[in-house]
Amino acid sequence: MKFIDQFRTGLRNLARQKLRTSLTIFAIVIGAVSVTVMLSLVTSTKSFLVSSSEKIGMDTQVIVTGTSGLNYRESQWIGPDGSGKKIDADVLAAVEKLNNVQSATLYLAGSMFDSYKVDDQELTMKNVGVEGYTPNGTIKHILIAGSELSDSSNGSGVLISSDLASDLGFKGNETALIGKDVSFHYRKDMGPPDAPKADEVGKIIGVTSSDRGSVLSVDLDWAVEFQTWPNPQNNQNNQNNQNNQNNQNNQNNQNNQNNQNGQNNQNGQNNQNNQNGQNNQNEQTQDQSQIDRMGYGSIWVSVDQKKNVDGVLSEIKQLGFGAAAGKEEIDSQSTAFTIIGAILGGIGAIALLVAAIGVVNTMVMATLERTREIGIMRAIGATKKTIRRLFRVEAGVLGFTGGLFGVILSYGFAIGLNQILNKQLADSGITDRDIVSISPQIALIVMLITTMIGMLAGSLPARRAANMDPVEALRYE
Amino acid sequence: MSFVQCSGLKKTYSVGGEEVKALDDVSLNIEHGDFIAICGPSGSGKSTLANVIGGLDQPDQGSVMVDGIDLANAKDSILSEYRNKKIGFVFQSFNLQAHETTLENVIAPLTVAGVGKKQERRERGMKALERVGLSDRAKHKPTQLSGGQRQRVAIARALVNDPQLIIADEPTGNLDSSRGADVITELKRLNAEGITLIIITHDASVAAQATRIIEIKDGKIVERAGTK
Repeated sequence: MKFIDQFRTGLRNLARQKLRTSLTIFAIVIGAVSVTVMLSLVTSTKSFLVSSSEKIGMDTQVIVTGTSGLNYRESQWIGPDGSGKKIDADVLAAVEKLNNVQSATLYLAGSMFDSYKVDDQELTMKNVGVEGYTPNGTIKHILIAGSELSDSSNGSGVLISSDLASDLGFKGNETALIGKDVSFHYRKDMGPPDAPKADEVGKIIGVTSSDRGSVLSVDLDWAVEFQTWPNPQNNQNNQNNQNNQNNQNNQNNQNNQNNQNGQNNQNGQNNQNNQNGQNNQNEQTQDQSQIDRMGYGSIWVSVDQKKNVDGVLSEIKQLGFGAAAGKEEIDSQSTAFTIIGAILGGIGAIALLVAAIGVVNTMVMATLERTREIGIMRAIGATKKTIRRLFRVEAGVLGFTGGLFGVILSYGFAIGLNQILNKQLADSGITDRDIVSISPQIALIVMLITTMIGMLAGSLPARRAANMDPVEALRYE
Repeated sequence: MSFVQCSGLKKTYSVGGEEVKALDDVSLNIEHGDFIAICGPSGSGKSTLANVIGGLDQPDQGSVMVDGIDLANAKDSILSEYRNKKIGFVFQSFNLQAHETTLENVIAPLTVAGVGKKQERRERGMKALERVGLSDRAKHKPTQLSGGQRQRVAIARALVNDPQLIIADEPTGNLDSSRGADVITELKRLNAEGITLIIITHDASVAAQATRIIEIKDGKIVERAGTK
């Protein structure tokens, strides 16, 4: 019997039991939709995350820290806390000399402000980080508006993440933020209470995606200033200086009054005072830059090619520093998505398994109902093989139809999901849209799988039908 | 050499734990163009003999050769091809597919055999229907036909592959005498055209029209001389 005739016969037989066929196909559709949507959702999200990470150069990024054993995520927000090996310009110079290092920057992170102000709006900076780096292309952002930090931003340019832009009421209108002044108010618990620093004022030059959290990015030099506080000792010294000066004046007055050995004393005291003053001056210079004492948070490195990242990592580790690669984070995220995909795919597979049981049930019913027909077919010359194939093709048609409708429905689901996700992405300030896509490969594979499952599920009933005794089958009432 | 040669056929069925001898050392020869009536009471083994000759069943012992084909030892594919190409079955209950049209029923053996294209099969089916006088009922469903017409459709189906042998198992059993007579006339006409005909029947008047009557009782043949 020709395949086309088997196919036609299968279709006609299925059409005879419309309700049962529809329900069986419906079960397969559910399974096919589960597998297609879940796999597509996971693969699309995974590729979206990977491409987003690659856009900002995360795949070739390495973070150098003073403490070993930190992963990429932990290394990102390291501030100068004095723990581990000191990160400074010398380390930067050593790192820059390593093979395959394209660029590198010292990095500072901190939360030294309690509020920021744009126009007349003052918002809290709780859970908002401030990062500083040299704008040499090592650190990149997904920009929603404006531009990256650059040397031309005069050191007081500020990048603001999109969630903060939303808090300021510029959601969807981020461009309007560009060029606005922003001022930062220092936390009261930072630095000596009797020497509060004035607000820092900068200009917003760009709005970034908030995929790295709520963050304000500034030039490294400015960030160093943020973390530079007059040492209380300096104040004390200043006071001492002042007192000394007063004393000196008093002494002078006394000298003037007494005019006795005064000159010598005056000279001696002046020398002493000068000496004290000099000492204070030196101490103050050192204290002003606590970065010099504690070092920077980390060094961010951009490696020329992804394949050279491991080499750079090991070289940095050999220097005695901790090093974490962005690609490890991407890989771990990919692995997580693969696991999620496997779990979701497994759930879909269970749905397909249940559908397969439905196919077995339908085909067993069909063999019972059509026992006499099987007898007739055998009498007019159908081989066991022909009967077997007929039922298998019929089950395959069930599977294929279920898969086809499942895939079509999945495309519908993808459109719906994208509409929801597009809104979420827009809220996060991410410009990518329609990230859930069902690839033709997945669609074809799902249809192939459902067809195979149908045929496999139909095998047992098909064998049962083929092995019927034709004489008994013809007698069947 | 005879067209059908049966020798020492034995076939036993187990019914309710009890063994029933359907064929008990049956030997029989049938020549080309014979019109054989196989008679006997219910359960005597006449249908089993017809099924063995028709390749629907195989004996437990003995040999059955039809047109040089050893049916007793043939595998499924040989038996199936034999049933498709050399045999036409006509059953008491017509055994037509109710959901198919008359023409589709008639061309089913051609479809099963994968003969030619659909159009060619339809043409051959129409010719078979013309031979039984039902070409105007080609698009009817079996349920739209009378009993006699249905049996003629079954005959057309049996004819469509130009078989050498037609085995009709109680072909008039479900028909009134008038329509039964028409069916027998039709079968006799085919026999006259050279097709060997084996009819299994209870009806003495039908058996009387055969060239030879084989009576079976308890699985054994009691052969009578031909009536004509």
